[in-house]
Amino acid sequence: MIERDVVCPFCGCLCDDLELETEGGKIVKVQNGCSLAESTFMNDTRLPAPIRRTETGWEDISYNEAIKETAEILRDADRPLLYGWSSTHGEAQSIGVHIAELIGAVIDNTSTVCHGPSILAIQEVGHPGCTLGQVKNRADVIIYWGANPVEAHPRHMSRYTTYATGFFVPEARRERTVIVVDTRRTDTANIADEFVQIERGGDYAVFSALRAIVRGNASVIPRKVAGVSKEQLIRIAEICKKAKFGAIFFGLGLTMSRGKYKNIRNAIELTDELNRHTKFVISPLRGHGNVYGSNEVFTWMTGYPFAVDFARGIAFYNPGETTAVDILRRGECDAALIVASDPGANFPRAAAAHLAKIPTVVIDPHVNATTALSRIHIPCTAAGIDAAGTAYRMDGVPIRLKKVIDRGYPDDAEILKKIYDLLNGGMGP
Amino acid sequence: MTELWVKNACVIDPIRGINGDIMDIAIRDGRIVESVSDRAEVIDAERCLTLPGGIDSHTHVSGTKVNFGRYMSPEDMRAGRTKRKGKMHVTSGYYVPTTFGNSYRYSAMGYTTLLEGAMAPLEARHTHEEFTATPHQDMMANTLFDGNWAVMDAVREKDIRKTAAVVAWTLKAARGYGIKLTNPGGTEAWGWGEDLTGIHDTVPHFAVTPAEIITTMIRANELLKLPHSVHLHCNNLGKPGNYQTTLETFELVPDLNDARQTLYATHVQFHAYGGGTWKNICSKAEEITRLVNSKPQIVMDMGQIMFGRTMTMTADGPMEFNLHCLHNNKWSNHDVELETGSGIIPVTYSKKSTVNCIMWAIGLELALLTKNPWQCLLETDNPNGAPFVKYPEVIGLLMSKRYRDEECAALHAGTEQKTSLYALEREMDWHDIAVMTRAGQAKALGIVSQGKGHLGVGAEADIAIYPIRTDSVDPAREYRKVVEGFQKTRYTIKRGRVVSRDGEIIVDGANATFWVDAKVPEDIRMENDPEFIKRFEQFYTVRMSNYPVQDVYLPRGRCIETEAFT
Amino acid sequence: MRVILESKVRSKPNLPIEAEAIIPRNFLKGTDHVVFEGNKERTLSELFWIFVEGTAVSPENIEVILKGDTSRIKRVGEYMDTGSIVIEGDIGMHCGNFMSGGTIEIRGNADAWLGREMRGGTILCRGNAGHYCATGYRGEKKGMQGGKVEVSGNTGDFCAEYLAGGTVHIHGSTGDFPGAEMRGGELIIEGDATRPCGNMKNGSCVILGTVHDMLPTFEKIERRVLPEWKITADVYKGDVANRGKGNLCVRSTGLY
Ligand code: SF4
Ligand SMILES: [Zn+2]
Repeated sequence: MIERDVVCPFCGCLCDDLELETEGGKIVKVQNGCSLAESTFMNDTRLPAPIRRTETGWEDISYNEAIKETAEILRDADRPLLYGWSSTHGEAQSIGVHIAELIGAVIDNTSTVCHGPSILAIQEVGHPGCTLGQVKNRADVIIYWGANPVEAHPRHMSRYTTYATGFFVPEARRERTVIVVDTRRTDTANIADEFVQIERGGDYAVFSALRAIVRGNASVIPRKVAGVSKEQLIRIAEICKKAKFGAIFFGLGLTMSRGKYKNIRNAIELTDELNRHTKFVISPLRGHGNVYGSNEVFTWMTGYPFAVDFARGIAFYNPGETTAVDILRRGECDAALIVASDPGANFPRAAAAHLAKIPTVVIDPHVNATTALSRIHIPCTAAGIDAAGTAYRMDGVPIRLKKVIDRGYPDDAEILKKIYDLLNGGMGP
Repeated sequence: MTELWVKNACVIDPIRGINGDIMDIAIRDGRIVESVSDRAEVIDAERCLTLPGGIDSHTHVSGTKVNFGRYMSPEDMRAGRTKRKGKMHVTSGYYVPTTFGNSYRYSAMGYTTLLEGAMAPLEARHTHEEFTATPHQDMMANTLFDGNWAVMDAVREKDIRKTAAVVAWTLKAARGYGIKLTNPGGTEAWGWGEDLTGIHDTVPHFAVTPAEIITTMIRANELLKLPHSVHLHCNNLGKPGNYQTTLETFELVPDLNDARQTLYATHVQFHAYGGGTWKNICSKAEEITRLVNSKPQIVMDMGQIMFGRTMTMTADGPMEFNLHCLHNNKWSNHDVELETGSGIIPVTYSKKSTVNCIMWAIGLELALLTKNPWQCLLETDNPNGAPFVKYPEVIGLLMSKRYRDEECAALHAGTEQKTSLYALEREMDWHDIAVMTRAGQAKALGIVSQGKGHLGVGAEADIAIYPIRTDSVDPAREYRKVVEGFQKTRYTIKRGRVVSRDGEIIVDGANATFWVDAKVPEDIRMENDPEFIKRFEQFYTVRMSNYPVQDVYLPRGRCIETEAFT
Repeated sequence: MRVILESKVRSKPNLPIEAEAIIPRNFLKGTDHVVFEGNKERTLSELFWIFVEGTAVSPENIEVILKGDTSRIKRVGEYMDTGSIVIEGDIGMHCGNFMSGGTIEIRGNADAWLGREMRGGTILCRGNAGHYCATGYRGEKKGMQGGKVEVSGNTGDFCAEYLAGGTVHIHGSTGDFPGAEMRGGELIIEGDATRPCGNMKNGSCVILGTVHDMLPTFEKIERRVLPEWKITADVYKGDVANRGKGNLCVRSTGLY
């Protein structure tokens, strides 16, 4: 059977034009997707049933048992942490938030280790952005800053930017100027019209310099800023000012390098400044398929996009204090529920190590590095493969992930709902 | 079968011509009936003011833009935080509260139906998700068409039928309720960082003008027999001298519908400015209302501002950027491909600013100078002019000259000469307020026939009982009591269930979402138009098959079908 | 009156305690106060040995002394308006939030957000302070607006971010981005600083030590002697990435 217009749940691009061929409840062929999509759909090995750690290894347990024990662990905790959420759908995320408010937990999503700094910057200065189609149809200047979409978002350039045929840019690549800014020459840099090589940690200074130049204060700028010549900076500023529609995309090279959110803030303020001359937008390249959805769901339910602490009953937010990495690093939490993510692989070692010291439960379709730190692992559906639900693309466009096959696993939302019910004395949210 | 018997209610029900009669209301299974059995649960209203549930015909509570307002405002979330309690979820925020915050606070004020003022079709799914999390009000969404490429193409071709077909297809896909035009044409121009300066400017690359978009959409709207009229946010919002544009726009409006207005002009306060700069800005409310008084086909809402901190958010991207250049605070912008734009910035309206004082005065002038209260509804364009929790204060101001005088005394000295407010003696009565907060909205939105905005037999039992005894309160003097009375109902009844009591939510909500399916003839349906399909697949970034909102997003959807073109 | 709070040994010593109840004024009405440990509500006496010496008729005469392991106790002195608090060891986050009067002395180190959104009064930290010393809250346009924060040791990053009023005096060094987004007030750093005053709009900052990675968007105006610090300093105006009218004085390195 051929399934058309399937959404790839892997990265924030959420390409929705895949063609999947299924045969007897198995996916046998993936078309239109990139290699990451292919491995998402094809390499999908899961545990057959929930497992629990024993003295010597692991034992299989029933779903009911696993759910009951998870509820008990959470109920007994004084500072439970609910973390992850970026690879599942909004329906599961929303139940997660309800659990957190019910038991006074901290709930956080993977923004903590990717674009949390972008969110902090946006909270300081706002976010001049747009949907990706605006860029595709209009942009004649495209800047990738600290980002390597060729590797991390393989179809970003062909679907939305550089190579996409747009209404006002029918000649696509030939009508667009592509600027890449990075500390090293990446694959993306190789296709750029202009490559700006910055010294490590120099992004902030370069943004400041560009802002000053755009404001007419070029005379203050020294001959070189973080390894970039003043001539090149002035040239870049001119290209930007002359653009009909410019778009900046940035990645972890910017959010996770020295200065973190101040880098992003400065990038946004440059964009703001450029809007006084022409049209300019800026957007983070969000990584996990539905990480932006977790920000959206958290926000309408709690008021905050990530790192929400319900310990006092009300919602409190203060990244650096209420973020999962920080709570783990300080050894604060005494139980953890990890859903649809892999902190065991992505967190600093000291933070991940604490997970092994406390009762940790993983709800995830796949065995991952966190499984090794956990007490219980409950396998479930994978959103976009055998479960339908809502995901938000990196630009905020909500897309419905499809259920392509049925593998007989329970939906994570269903598992979470049962945990919620147990914690709430049998009552639904 | 559940039955409820509300006795001793002092009912004002303008649609049925009831004004302060003491009566009983019988409710069975969510609807108002002639009588109930003696097993019915009884509520004694004790002669308190009892109105149909409040209806907000223009508010921003759900969707991409609203949520971004929250996302960027942790500082606001610190205000208005409440814990989980009984059936109530945690809430945060004052001017951009969480969905539950919105829902509970509206419910406490007796509001049972809300129209979200702006939904971009591409992001409609998001709006509907938040509707589900706004459980105590029935919801509907104005759908944005101001910069819709297919609409502008059809308008350029002067093809009203095709315009209507695009609207019908899009409304259905977005599960939208009515047509919203926000700065028509201007949001497309903003795709290039430009704006339009009047209704006869040409939209870049599209060779149409706002005037053409507005008039064609009005005709298409009526061809589709949509329950609501075109809902317009005029061009040039917030610019000194913009009243000319507003008057010119109003002059374009024919009278095409016997049952309701032909144009709903929203937040007109922001569109009633004289002068040419921020220095010489003045009120043109008299000019605007003079025209509206002579044109029954126009209904407007006030767009009242109230002093304090709030957030402006609108599809009008260029306007928000201009405002940002004045305030230099944070600014978000979100243009939506082939459809519309949006912008968000926080503002503080201050009594120290003459401009803000004049704005405050204009909203009240508009209401007080419009002879027929059915033509000027009470809103703040929540949260743009003020968060909706300020409505009771607006009511107080409309009902009491003394309250206005006291407020005026604290305003910037320059205000008096620039407006006519200080001289206006009119004090609205309870009936006027009932019109301006529910009956007028129900009529304007075309939902009277859905059982909204009145308490006749067959109506939905959405009822607000306020702790106000109209026979013993003199609103002109005791305006504080009026304000307090409207802040918290004694009971808010939603579809026959008491949902809120003395400001506290006591049950889980189960709202409905109204949307419109306008059936156009087979041969002009967009899903059969190869050119439309081709352009869609080429220029949108989602596949056409993934665009329509699936039914699962409207667990309690209520579709209003119309037979268009007949 | 003197109130001595000595922390009890806890089974989970890493759990944060939130104790905004610990301000001098509250002890006028006794010692029966609510604090939070993780997601549990506790009484003060569950977590502390409480000793009260003497009496007081007004809060300005109340001194609160914290002893023992207090490094995980947050919000001590929040909204404090008078009296004094002495912390003998380290203190947790948000000490002195929104403080408007009185004094807090910390003999050990202070964790992050010391004196957040402070409006008046004095905080003296004899050890080091963490990140975001004397700053504001996420999304808010103004940080500390008045009063004085003095740190004998070093601070972490973003010291005095969004400073809008009052004085912040760091005897040691600061981390990255001290004085970022400053719009008023005075920041003195006797030690070293990295990338000071990024995007500052107003206010003044003096750095007596070495500046690392000076931002390119500060305009050198003059060289001036600062008699109160007995140094010659280069005076910059900035940040010219915005319409910055701030003052940044850095000890001149060249011979004069
Ligand atoms: S770019 Fe991302 S969303 Fe698109 S197919 Fe590749 S992994 Fe999937
Ligand atoms: Zn509006």
